[in-house]
Amino acid sequence: MAGRRRGGIGGGVEVLDSIYSVVALVFILVACVELGDAATAVDVYRLIQYDIAGVPYGSRVAGLNHHAGASPFAPGADLSRTVVMMPVRELNLTFLREYIISNQPLGGLLLLLPKKVSNRIVGEVKSKDDGLMRNILVELEQLLIQANIPYPVYFAFEDDMINAVLADVRKSDATGQPPMATTGGYKLVVSIPEPKRVSSPTITNIQGWLPGLKGDGDTNQLPTIAVVASYDTFGAAPALSVGSDSNGSGVVALLEIARLFSRLYSNPKTRGRYNLLFGLTSGGPYNYNGTLKWLRSFDQRLRESIDYAICLNSIGSWKNQLWIHVSKPPENAYIKQVHEGLSDVANELGVTIGIKHKKINISNPRVAWEHEQFSRLRITAVTLSELSAAPELLESTGGLHDTRDSLDEAAIYRTIRLVAESLARHIYGHQGRNIQIFADNSSLAVNPSYISAWLDLLSRTPRVAPFLSKTDPIISALKKELSDHTVEVHVQHETIDGMFSFYDSTRATLNIYQVASVAFDLLLLLALGAYLILLFSFLVLTTRGLDDLINLFRRPPSRKVKAA
Amino acid sequence: MTVFHFFNCAILTFGPHAVYYSATPLSEYDTIGTSAKAAAVYLGTALVKLVCLATFLKESENDNFDPYQELLKVLINFIDVAGLYFALTQLTHRNISQNHKFQAVGLGWAFADSVLHRLAPLWVGARGLEFTWEYIFQGLEANANLVLNLSLAALGSLMWLRKNKPRTLIPIIYACAGVLATMPSITRFYSLLMVILVENIIIVWE
Repeated sequence: MAGRRRGGIGGGVEVLDSIYSVVALVFILVACVELGDAATAVDVYRLIQYDIAGVPYGSRVAGLNHHAGASPFAPGADLSRTVVMMPVRELNLTFLREYIISNQPLGGLLLLLPKKVSNRIVGEVKSKDDGLMRNILVELEQLLIQANIPYPVYFAFEDDMINAVLADVRKSDATGQPPMATTGGYKLVVSIPEPKRVSSPTITNIQGWLPGLKGDGDTNQLPTIAVVASYDTFGAAPALSVGSDSNGSGVVALLEIARLFSRLYSNPKTRGRYNLLFGLTSGGPYNYNGTLKWLRSFDQRLRESIDYAICLNSIGSWKNQLWIHVSKPPENAYIKQVHEGLSDVANELGVTIGIKHKKINISNPRVAWEHEQFSRLRITAVTLSELSAAPELLESTGGLHDTRDSLDEAAIYRTIRLVAESLARHIYGHQGRNIQIFADNSSLAVNPSYISAWLDLLSRTPRVAPFLSKTDPIISALKKELSDHTVEVHVQHETIDGMFSFYDSTRATLNIYQVASVAFDLLLLLALGAYLILLFSFLVLTTRGLDDLINLFRRPPSRKVKAA
Repeated sequence: MTVFHFFNCAILTFGPHAVYYSATPLSEYDTIGTSAKAAAVYLGTALVKLVCLATFLKESENDNFDPYQELLKVLINFIDVAGLYFALTQLTHRNISQNHKFQAVGLGWAFADSVLHRLAPLWVGARGLEFTWEYIFQGLEANANLVLNLSLAALGSLMWLRKNKPRTLIPIIYACAGVLATMPSITRFYSLLMVILVENIIIVWE
């Protein structure tokens, strides 16, 4: 009986042990539970972080965990543990500029962009406000891109939730109250991993080849005309850089021209005696690095056979004046020919084309226009653009302001007519004659819905090259489109020149928590302590009597043990 | 500061139980065994109630007051009463006076109730950054629950442990027990009544 008992107890001890281990495991698991219990969660887009030749630019930190604050601030206030929420609509650019230039520490910066305009009315008259907002965005972007900011900077779109939070923060800041339990203390938290350098950022060039008609007796290579546009963008918020005008407009124009000429070239009777080379290059903002690598990959015969190249850059919002930019002097015979061809068609369309000459400086690595890469390899090239002056590095590369509603589709239509007609006249030898090959209402008319559809797609797709993988859907889409219109498509993958390096983590989720201050917690602790002490005294009083309560606080009197 | 908040709410929820134990003579007579046994009985009762509720209760689509469902809930609540009876009478306790027995059982019962119903939400919820009043309210509810359970245990001991009950009080005692068991149903009935009343008043108003 005793042995069985002992065995029973031994078995019981084992069971207890396993229970203890299970309980411990449960506790460990439970301790790891972390719920997402934020009051609000918002999509935010991070400022770009990049280095040029080792010099850091942009926002260098990604994680955010501070209290929210909003202007107006008391002068000299310490904001190093505050996230400043600034709506762009009421932006005080001088305040921001002095903060950034004087390198004052902030906990973080959250810029609120005006609500996305979802429907666009065709032909809407752009108000003065839109123009002002665009200028503000351009200046803001340039300020942020060229600064080295040691705290996180995020962009978010205004909506009701964030506006309510902002109003709350402003109210509590105004009254100067420290954040109590339910009065306006907000904490903004973004938890994403530390941004890592993108290891080998790829640029992808897509080219399409339409061969011309080779006669029976022709042994030489046919001459080639190239139409080129760069399709990638760069902006302050890489997840928002859709670059509708720079250079979505150029890409769409190139695709439409390819489509028109593929119709002409599909029939051997109308095939011209020129080859056509269409190039969608990447790496535009980085001194047209992709174009350089693309050209270097040509073999000598092809390079020599190129008659001239037309590069398209930002042709989406001009009214009457377009510019040709050249690097060879305008008196050069080839340049003159191209200029005259374009001017003739321009006169018929009722617009003017000006010519701008910018000499190439071989020692300066800055490449402002795409044609300069062609010129450095002694290929005649021009750039057609609405911009009259050469943009600086990382300027006019499509950014926050460059959205779908900044475009005028009629301008793109006019440009396509211009380029296509002048190309066709050159190819078929109709220079100087007033023949409309791509007339409206003909089977070769420029298709406005094609333009619209592609513009919509490009305006929805951010295209910053280091964040586009080799198999990105937009690259496949462009490749497929070109292969529909051309005979031979070739894709070339390269890495960006070592001078530029980029860091990832471009979008994140912001959690906004309403928090109580430490003072509140301490107060609560005090109140609870008082309550428990009161309860204790009350219970002792009622069950044991007052004497016992007093005895608790008196030292027990020492008693001498009487010897028995 | 969120672990701080959790700590605050935890002492609000569980503190009174510890204070009650140490302040009253319960600690002198070392009645912790009784409380532990009562807690175990509560656990068993809760499990049985859970199984019964899951088996017998239908999921109601609308919020109406269905007398049959409420009757079923009342019957299942009697399991609660049965559990208390079991804890008070059937368990073998050490030789402690009746006075202390019902207190110890009530305390153990209330503590198990708090732990089962309030510890998990507290641990998971109060540690987050977001501040809500919810857990403080839960703690206050735990305090009220302690008082309720102590009085329930007192009532139970009056009913089942005392041999010489005053004649006139017997029906009152049983009536109180019945009311306590059906309390959730009564509160639900009255809240629905209030909603209907208010809606009618608004309709009359407009």
